[in-house]
Amino acid sequence: MKTPAMKPLTISGLITALLLIALSIYVVEDLPAFGDENSPANKYVKLFIIDEDGLVESLNAGVLPSKIKIKIEEMGFNKEENYPTLEEGNYKIERSEKGSLEGGRLSEGGWDVLIHEGEIFYNEPIRYYFIKEIDRNLTVCRYNWPVRANERTEEETGTTNIVTAGLADYRGYDTMGEETVILTGAICVILLLRRRGRL
Amino acid sequence: MTQLKKTYKRDVIIELTTSLMVPFILLFGLYVMMGSGGTGGGFQGGTILSAGFILYITVFGVVKGREKMPESVNAFFKSFGLFLFNGAGWMCILFSLAAAQWLNMPAFWPVSDFMGIAGSRSFLIAYMIDVGVGLTVMAAFVSQFFDLAWKEDDEMEGDEG
Repeated sequence: MKTPAMKPLTISGLITALLLIALSIYVVEDLPAFGDENSPANKYVKLFIIDEDGLVESLNAGVLPSKIKIKIEEMGFNKEENYPTLEEGNYKIERSEKGSLEGGRLSEGGWDVLIHEGEIFYNEPIRYYFIKEIDRNLTVCRYNWPVRANERTEEETGTTNIVTAGLADYRGYDTMGEETVILTGAICVILLLRRRGRL
Repeated sequence: MTQLKKTYKRDVIIELTTSLMVPFILLFGLYVMMGSGGTGGGFQGGTILSAGFILYITVFGVVKGREKMPESVNAFFKSFGLFLFNGAGWMCILFSLAAAQWLNMPAFWPVSDFMGIAGSRSFLIAYMIDVGVGLTVMAAFVSQFFDLAWKEDDEMEGDEG
């Protein structure tokens, strides 16, 4: 039995497939193990840098210094803008060591400001601010994915709609899989129901 | 007797209403599908587009609907939508050659040159990813509807013969 000669279309398809496989291997090699730490969703939103003079003792004692509090409220995160207030007793400060897992998140070492919002269904304090000490300076950041999505989506993706950016950009692989599922379903229906020779 | 079953009962009111409505349904589907700051997205827009086609097929019959949406166009749209989506991702990975994150820029230089990186990301989201999803969803639903309609026709023929 003679093997049929390869057509040019077959060869070009083979080359394309091999290139795509090589590219996939390259990309998979580059993937971080459990999500990209530097991806937009996981970064902090840096607010400002302030000198530490006597602020560290106050932070260790569990009291947010009024300097930081006033500056945060001047930036617009105050009661008038519907942000949670930083009144005494409303928050608590926790120190986490570098490299420890705090609430499922790898800590970078610093003070977390947890605010109890009094939600009905999630009745636990939420991490809002994050204070890090570098070279006798205190860097104040804000956390978490909803905050970041609210404030940075327009700047990063040029779209005003958070949901669109989340669907198509930040969670693009998920949408790709959904679309592939739809295509596969259509192909399965064709294979099961369609009679041969009827197009 | 077979001819009677094959011919569709025509109704002037339904046909006129449908032929007036279908273009606007398709236009509304395009409006929902496109645009990054818009109301919907690819899935919803594709569903509305396919609803327009399905309304046309239901009213005018499978044979006339097949003239508007031939199998070649259907198959092309079905695979081309997924190709657009995946092509955008591949292009971004190829141009940036960085960690495999969706739409990781500085990709897509022809657009990012005069729109900026955020602008080109917005362009990709609005006109490649959403349109890709929409085309695939529309063609998949229309093709499934055709298959089911033919199945019914074949079974009716089989009963008689």
